[in-house]
Amino acid sequence: MHIVGSNKKRIWLARILFLLPVSLLFFFFFIYPFLFTLYTSLTQWRGIGAMKFNGLANYGKLLADATFRKALKNNVVWALSQGFIQVPLACLVAMILVRKPRFWKALRTAYYLPNVISTVALAMVWVAIYNVKGPLNAILHALFGVEKLNWLGNPDVALFAVIFQTVIYIGYFMIILLAAAMNIPRSYYEAAEIDGAGTFRQEWHITLPMLRGTLVTTMTLAMAYGMRHFESTFLMTGGGPAYATTTMGIDLYLKMDALRYSEASTVGVILILMGTVVISLIRILFGTSDPMSETAQ
Amino acid sequence: MKGKRFVVMALVLLIMVGLGAQGQKDPGVAKEVELRWASIWVGNDSKAPAVEELVAAYNAKNEGRIKVVIEPQPDYNAYEQKVRTSLAAGQVPADIFTIKLNPTTATFYQSNLLMDFNKVMDGAWKATFDAPSLAQSEIDGVLRSLPMETAILPLWFNMDLLKKVGVNEVPKTLDDMFATFDKLKAAGIAPTSQMTGDTNAWTSMIWFSHFAVALGGPNVWDKPFTDKAFVEAAKLIKRMITEYSTSDAVGLGAGGSGGHFLAGRTAVFSNGPWYAGRADLAATPFYDSIRIAGLPDAGPTKDFMISRLQANICAAATKDKAREEAIVDFLKFLTSKDSITKIAETSGAMFAIKTDFRPTVDLKRQFFIVAEGAKATASDLEAALGAEVTLEFAQQLGALALGRISAEEFCALVDRKIER
Repeated sequence: MHIVGSNKKRIWLARILFLLPVSLLFFFFFIYPFLFTLYTSLTQWRGIGAMKFNGLANYGKLLADATFRKALKNNVVWALSQGFIQVPLACLVAMILVRKPRFWKALRTAYYLPNVISTVALAMVWVAIYNVKGPLNAILHALFGVEKLNWLGNPDVALFAVIFQTVIYIGYFMIILLAAAMNIPRSYYEAAEIDGAGTFRQEWHITLPMLRGTLVTTMTLAMAYGMRHFESTFLMTGGGPAYATTTMGIDLYLKMDALRYSEASTVGVILILMGTVVISLIRILFGTSDPMSETAQ
Repeated sequence: MKGKRFVVMALVLLIMVGLGAQGQKDPGVAKEVELRWASIWVGNDSKAPAVEELVAAYNAKNEGRIKVVIEPQPDYNAYEQKVRTSLAAGQVPADIFTIKLNPTTATFYQSNLLMDFNKVMDGAWKATFDAPSLAQSEIDGVLRSLPMETAILPLWFNMDLLKKVGVNEVPKTLDDMFATFDKLKAAGIAPTSQMTGDTNAWTSMIWFSHFAVALGGPNVWDKPFTDKAFVEAAKLIKRMITEYSTSDAVGLGAGGSGGHFLAGRTAVFSNGPWYAGRADLAATPFYDSIRIAGLPDAGPTKDFMISRLQANICAAATKDKAREEAIVDFLKFLTSKDSITKIAETSGAMFAIKTDFRPTVDLKRQFFIVAEGAKATASDLEAALGAEVTLEFAQQLGALALGRISAEEFCALVDRKIER
C-alpha cells in the first residue's frame, strides 16, 4: 500500500511539474492580461493617467453605439461564413482528393499554397483585383455585360468582397480534413460498394460520420478565426466604407488608435465572451461534449 | 581534489577582482551617456540622409561623453502604436521620439514620463523656434514636446494637363476651378485624386479643410460641426468626389490617390511638402510643371493656407542630471539653425525653427513662397479635432459620396464624435 501511495504522489508531482511551465505562461500571457482587460473595461482610461472606475458604463455605451453593433453583426457574419462556407468547401475538396484523382497531389499543393503567402501580399493582390478598373470587373463585364462595380467602395458589397477573398482559401482546413479522411479504413468503402452503395451514399454514410470529430474541430477553429478577423479587411478597407466592413477587431484597434483604451478593453472582453459562446454553440449543435478533445483522426 | 579546490578559488578570486575593477570609478573619466532616438526619419524618408550625417557628426564631436543611437522606425503606423502602448505601459518608447501633436495625442501631455521643456529651455533656445508653433505645443503651461517639422497642405496642379485643355494658369475662383475641371473631364482626364479610405481620407480631408476654412474662417474648427460652413464644405467635397475624381475614389487609400497623380491620371492633388522630395515624383515628366497654390476663392476667407505641426519632438523625463543634460545638448544641436538648414536642404521639408534657408528646387521653393504669401493660416481637420473625429469623417465620407446620407446628416455624425 505504501508503495502504491508513494507512486501516486510521484505521478501527481510529475503532472504538476509538467503542467507548471505552460500554466505559468498561460497565467502571465492570458489570464493576467484578460483580468487586466476586464478591469480596465470597467474604468475610464485613456492609456495615460489614473483609471477612474465607472462600472458597466462602457458596456452600455458600446451597445448603444451603431458602429459597434455593426461590427458585432459583421463578426457573426464572418464566423458563420468561415464555419459554414469555408469548412464545407474544404471538406468537399478533401472528399474528392482522398479518392486520389489524377494530379491530386498537385491540386493538394495548389490549394494549400495561398496559406503560405503573407496576408498582406494577398490583401494587396485582392485590392488590385477588386479595383474598378481591375480584372474582376473586366471579366464580369466581358462575360455578362455587368456594370463596373467599386467592390471595396460600395457598402452593399464590400463585406461580401472581403469575406470572399478569405473564404476561398480553404487549404488549411482541407489539409486537416484530408489527413483525417485518409485514415478511414478502405475496407468500409469496399463493404459498402459490395452492398451496392454509390459514391454519394458512401460519402454521406461513411466519410462524413467518420470525419465528424475533425469537422467539429475545424469548424471551431474557423469560427474562432472569423470572430477575431482583422488583418486583410483592415488592409483592404480599413473597416469602411461607412463601417460596412468593420469587425470587432478593427473597432478595438481604432478605439486604441483614438486612445480610448477602456472602451477598446470592453470590445476585447465582449469578443472573448462571444468566442466562448460560439464554441459552446458548436458543442450544442453537434451534440458533442468536448469538441476540442476530438483530434484529427 | 586539492587541484580542483585551487582552480575554483582562483576563479572566484579572478571574478572578484573583475567585479571590483568594474565597481571602481575613475573620477577623471565620466561614463558615456547613450541616448536612444526612435527616429521616423530613416529609410526612404527624404530627411534620413541628413539626419544620419548629423547624428554621426554629433557622436564624433562628443565621443566618450554622449552617444546618440538611432532606432529606425520605418513604418509610421507601427511606430505610433509603439508610442501609444509604451506610454500606456508606463514606459517611454525611447529617450527621444516624435509625435504628431493633435487633440488625441495631447493626452500624452498628462504623462510625467515626458520631459517638460519649459523647465530646461533657456531664452536663447526658445527664440530659435517659430513662436506660434511653440505656443501651439504648450498645453496648460506644460511643454512636453518641441515643434520640429511643420507643413502646409496646399493644392498641387499638374500644369501640363491643364495646358492640354487650354488652361495656362492656376484657377483663381471656385467657378474657374470647376470650369477647368469640366474641360479636363471632357478631355478624358480625371480632375482630382480624391479618396475616402484609410483612417483619415487624407487628400480629401485636406480639400475639405480648405473648403471649411474658406467658408467659415480660420477658427472654423471651434464651431459645431453642424455649422453651415461644414455643411457647405461637405456638399463641395461630395461634388469633388462624385463629379471630379477617379471612379475608385470611394474606398481608395492615400497610396492610390497619390498613385493617380504620379501616373498623370489626375490633374490636381493635395499633400504636404514632404511629397515633393519623393524620387518617383522627381522622375515624372511633369515634375517641373507642378504648381503649388492655395484653394481658389471659395468663400469669405481668402489667401489663407492650411498648416499643421507635422512632427514634435518628445524626450524622456529623467532624474539623472547627466542624462537630462545630454538630451538637452543633443536637441539643441538638432534644432540649431545649421542642423535644420542641412535637413531642409536635402528634404525640402519645412520646420518650426527659424532659418534663412530657401530651397533651390522650384517645386520645393514654391511651398515656402506660398506659406509666406498666406495672409492667414488654419489647421486641417485632423490636427484641429483629433484622430477619432477624423476617422468618423473618413468613414462617413464614403456614405456621403454614395448618396447614402445628406451633407447635414454627414456633419451631424461627425459632430457626435467631437468632445467638448
